[in-house]
Amino acid sequence: MTKKTAIIASNGGLFEAYKVFNIATAAAATDHEVAIFFTFEGLNLIHKEANQQLPMPEGKEHFAEGFANANVPAIPELIEMAKELDVKFIGCQMTMDVMGLEKEAFVDGIEVGGAVTFLDFAQDADVTLTF
Amino acid sequence: MMNADKVLDAKGLACPMPIVKTRKEMKAMDSGQVLEILVTDKGAKADLTAWAKSGGHDLLDHQVDGDVLKFWIQKG
Repeated sequence: MTKKTAIIASNGGLFEAYKVFNIATAAAATDHEVAIFFTFEGLNLIHKEANQQLPMPEGKEHFAEGFANANVPAIPELIEMAKELDVKFIGCQMTMDVMGLEKEAFVDGIEVGGAVTFLDFAQDADVTLTF
Repeated sequence: MMNADKVLDAKGLACPMPIVKTRKEMKAMDSGQVLEILVTDKGAKADLTAWAKSGGHDLLDHQVDGDVLKFWIQKG
């Protein structure tokens, strides 16, 4: 039986992006079926332009050097990898409506849905995480 | 030294790349074949051990060679 990992991404900073996509790709690479529900600021992580320049938390900008030295992949690379591993991306319809954003503003291949779309996936998940 | 059917050089890569690349190589291999993995990510020891266990593969051996960690995993 395939294990399932369900993730809610509700924050839009660079640190959150790494938390979300590292866990998602690691889970998918361990043969979990993975879905991420992007809601509120979490939508930044899959927004085509915003995800190229996600902010560091205030006062933590000096970590930029650490990221470079540790040879950590860029967020768009991690997204490509997640897609290759069949991680499902669900954009929150309600937040998109509130922010006036269309599906085209986001990386290709996302599904748009509401809370129940995520809950349906998450109800029998083995791992459930919120970032 | 163990004989490997294939070698994956994942040196210099940070988490989760060594695992993602290991999975990709393993997918293309046959059951019973051995993949040798070279990494410098110090978290990989625990990660590859857990990854092999969860996927039903055998971590046959691991060695430290300076900054490089070497692993031999047999596909289950």
